[in-house]
Amino acid sequence: MQNSDGLTWAILIATLAMLMMAFFVILFVMFYQKRQLHQEKKLHEIEKDYQRLLLDTALNSEETERRRIAQDLHDDIGTMLSLTKLSLNQLSKLVTESGIKEDQIMRKSQALVEETILHVRRITRDLVPTTLERFGLSAAIEEFINKLENSKNLKISFISNTEEAPRQSQKTELTIYRITQELVNNSIKHSQCSKIEINLHINSKIIELQVTDNGIGFDPDALRNNNLTGLGLLGIESRLAIVDGTINYEKPKMGGSKAFAIVPVVPATDSKPEPLHPFRRQRATI
Amino acid sequence: MLLIESYLTFIHNHLIVCLAVFVTVIPLFLILYRKANVDPSFNLLLIYLVTKLIIDLIMFHYATQRTNNLIYYNLSIPVRYALLSGMFYFKIESGSYKKGIIYSIIGFSVFTIWDVFYSNPDIKDLHNHSMVAYATTVECLLMLFWILVYFYEVIRMLKIPNILTFPFFWVCSGLLLYYSSFIFIAPILHYTEKWENPLYIGFLNLVPYIFETLCLIFFSIGVWIFSTRYYAKQ
Repeated sequence: MQNSDGLTWAILIATLAMLMMAFFVILFVMFYQKRQLHQEKKLHEIEKDYQRLLLDTALNSEETERRRIAQDLHDDIGTMLSLTKLSLNQLSKLVTESGIKEDQIMRKSQALVEETILHVRRITRDLVPTTLERFGLSAAIEEFINKLENSKNLKISFISNTEEAPRQSQKTELTIYRITQELVNNSIKHSQCSKIEINLHINSKIIELQVTDNGIGFDPDALRNNNLTGLGLLGIESRLAIVDGTINYEKPKMGGSKAFAIVPVVPATDSKPEPLHPFRRQRATI
Repeated sequence: MLLIESYLTFIHNHLIVCLAVFVTVIPLFLILYRKANVDPSFNLLLIYLVTKLIIDLIMFHYATQRTNNLIYYNLSIPVRYALLSGMFYFKIESGSYKKGIIYSIIGFSVFTIWDVFYSNPDIKDLHNHSMVAYATTVECLLMLFWILVYFYEVIRMLKIPNILTFPFFWVCSGLLLYYSSFIFIAPILHYTEKWENPLYIGFLNLVPYIFETLCLIFFSIGVWIFSTRYYAKQ
């Protein structure tokens, strides 16, 4: 039997070195992979925040633009129409003496101007929900429902407990209001329904909005799987993403459709929010 | 009765060596119990463990009879490499590496056959049959390479959320430790495992058996955390 202590020691040291390397490789894979995953997650969160910020900015710009248009309509066109109406009133007195035909034309012109003034007012109110800022969600939704019920053969019921709850932040209230508008408009446009039920509940943590109709309904999963989600539904989801809200669509067994949105409560701060109504125009400083 | 007595005596005298044979049953049983063989890599691991157990038991029997059993070990080398590197064929995603695995299996099998004839000029003399001179070292190098390639892909692709609960990571770690411990011992086994004038390396002779047992324990951990539901999601 050959005995070589030198060789044995050399192999032992080499084997130990190799095992240490193997051990470090395993440790390296474990920790490096974990660190990389952590960084990836962080990057994903930053990307998500950035997307949210972009969306928030886009929606804010949209609201600002709406307000600007409403202001222009109210201050410029509204004022000019009022002046036209006054002038027509004065002219009407002079024309009455001229003849019946001229009087009829004058009255028709007056009626048209009055109608235009009403249209401008309606468009202004639609563009900026002034009731929302002044009186809150309940009042704004009720006003919206009244307008719809007047114009269409439709029954809309609204149940809410917002009177007891504190006012929410401007962004939250506006989001819920716009979502309600979109969901109700969707029901009217696509579901051929005759009855819509809106439930709005606020507790200490969340705001729950439920819009149910008795129309033909739709399959939300099929819509999502086939990428058929329209701009309306995407808009709702985008708006909700900004306020950390979620929405679920259901197809009740008795027919129709049901949308259920949840938004975390964000009470309004003491600082006065930027006015939503178009009656205060910011003066440019020169 | 005499046979059982000789078996027990052998186990008593070579406990560490025998442990590496009998521990094979644990991952083998666990693969069947956890139904891990739905994964093609674990299916190959199952075939490897069955083959290993059969060859080890044959070798164990001949060892108790003091008969040269190295021919079985030499024959098991290409089979072992084919099955273990085959596992990486299903796990590594790069097409070129997959091709490399196939070519290496073919090339290595040819090389081992050559090495068997090279190490044993008189192939019919089974009593003085020697272990291969180079094949085990080449096997170690190739297997270490595939393990490192797999780890590189794991780090690069970031597909595994928690590597500690990923079964194949444990299989790879076991193999990495086993082949790392074996790479410097493998070349001298040709000189130590001989009837006449063998080279004495003392405790080092047991190192591969210790790490083989450790490797089998790592296999068992990997198989134990295998979940068919998780595999279906992949």
